[in-house]
Amino acid sequence: MSPAEPTATVLVVDDHPMWRAAVERDLAAAGLDVVGTASDGEMAVRVAAAVRPDVVVMDLQLPRQSGVAATRQIIEARPETRVLVLSASGEQHDVLEAVKAGATGYLVKSASAAELADAVRRTAAGEASFTSGLAGLLLGEYRRLATTPAPDPGPRLSDRETEVLRLVAKGLTAKQVASRLVLSHRTVQNHVQNAMQKLQVHNRAGLVRYAIEAGLDEG
Amino acid sequence: MSGLDTSLWRAVSVFRWLTLVYVSVVNVIDLKNVDHPLTAVLLTLGMLLWTVISTVAYARPELRQWPLLVVDLAVAVAMVLSTRLVEPASRVAHGEPTFPQMWVAAALLAWAVYWQRRGGLTAAGVLAAADLADRGAVTAETTKGIVLLLLVGAVVGYVAGLARRAEAAFQEAVRIQAATEERERLSRRIHDGVLQVLALVQRRGSELGGEAAELSRLAGEQEHSLRGLVAYVPEQVAEGGQVDLRERLGATQSGPHVHLAAPATAVLIGAHQAVELVAAVGAAVQNVRRHVAEDADAWVLLEDEGDMVVVTVRDDGPGIAPGRLEAAAAEGRLGVAQSVCGRLRDLGGSASVTSRPGEGTEVELRVPR
Repeated sequence: MSPAEPTATVLVVDDHPMWRAAVERDLAAAGLDVVGTASDGEMAVRVAAAVRPDVVVMDLQLPRQSGVAATRQIIEARPETRVLVLSASGEQHDVLEAVKAGATGYLVKSASAAELADAVRRTAAGEASFTSGLAGLLLGEYRRLATTPAPDPGPRLSDRETEVLRLVAKGLTAKQVASRLVLSHRTVQNHVQNAMQKLQVHNRAGLVRYAIEAGLDEG
Repeated sequence: MSGLDTSLWRAVSVFRWLTLVYVSVVNVIDLKNVDHPLTAVLLTLGMLLWTVISTVAYARPELRQWPLLVVDLAVAVAMVLSTRLVEPASRVAHGEPTFPQMWVAAALLAWAVYWQRRGGLTAAGVLAAADLADRGAVTAETTKGIVLLLLVGAVVGYVAGLARRAEAAFQEAVRIQAATEERERLSRRIHDGVLQVLALVQRRGSELGGEAAELSRLAGEQEHSLRGLVAYVPEQVAEGGQVDLRERLGATQSGPHVHLAAPATAVLIGAHQAVELVAAVGAAVQNVRRHVAEDADAWVLLEDEGDMVVVTVRDDGPGIAPGRLEAAAAEGRLGVAQSVCGRLRDLGGSASVTSRPGEGTEVELRVPR
């Protein structure tokens, strides 16, 4: 990390005390500034509002409000907050929901301390941190949206975005994707981020539309 | 099982008592018309005695065996035949009811409950034969009675069997529900505790290196298999015999070095296609183990294209030089490609292998829906 770059501040959310402590220690050892911890969803929202972290490392299975709901509230309250999901495997549906709620990265808990620190840094820098599993989820979701008849067509992936996501889903690193498609690393990142953001916007629009309809019905 | 059985046998005893009361009243009123009133009273007392004995005996599950049922039917037959001892032969032949009347049907019900339809029909046949032997002639009345006996035997036997099967199905459903709930409870506990600690040990161990790295590897493997165990749900077969390919792949292709990427929603496919496809994926992953490294990573991507299901298996190995694949195939020693391609062809799909030196190998399996 270059000295000019300010140290990223991190909030660690996990209901398991040992995990929380381990993640906190690893991030601190990697030179990141852990400014707070939370052990459930409600607490995560409160602490995030108080400490205003750059990155929230979020577990999804939390008592008292899920990680997905906490992610949504944290990002609504302060959109510049980045949420990195650190979750056990086998929670695909929740991971997808967290991404729609605004999370920009996903790492499985079996990832090493170095991978975690790296992901937190990249998330803080505004890059999407991404696994093959998440790419598979996104591809599936876009396909589902494309085949579900709906009044508005919903977001679509461009051919290039699909190509990038497929390569990521097959386990290629961003660097490998860039060299295979003869693109810059930055461009690959942009494609991945676009794919996530379109889903988030669509999801947010859906929520707003739902709120308006519910409001009109009441009136 | 016992709940339903107890109720059925109790119903038989209740029937026996009600018919005993009815038959006793009718016979007492009829006492002045019979040849041998004393015999009638003794036989009625005999019916009372057997009603008491059978009620006690049938209430005990260990006594509900064939000897009791045989004795029960024998008593009923004896009672039917004893009609001659009480009434004038002329009355009997005219189609007057037999002395024990419908009381004997209790034995028939017992047989129907125990041996179901076959038992009910057999007992009805035996009672009908006794009835005919007693009267020595077939009249309209006796025919009606016999038909009724056979009908009751068949219907009650059938219903008893049906009720037993329904209860068995219900018990099975309750058992599955209880097992599922227990599994969910266990799974939550394990998820919150054991799995987290195992994941932690894996993580710290790999950082420490040396012998700790070995412990880390073991913890990682255990975490993976334990997770697979608690996540396992009884196979859900959707309508039309379709199964979720994600679940099948997740159950078979889980391991620390297999990365499965799939949609968040079910990918339904015919059960047979799923079995073949999972086997093909297994062969492809096995091939990565053999040709790249025992602990090489394999990425499995599952995509649902609507009319087509696509599974890609990729490794990060050295890849295969152009021409080598064709050469190997020409020499007939391309084991994986042959077994994979063969399976896919049988499903009406296709398999293709692409590889470039230094960029790993990709096996793409396409199966039409």
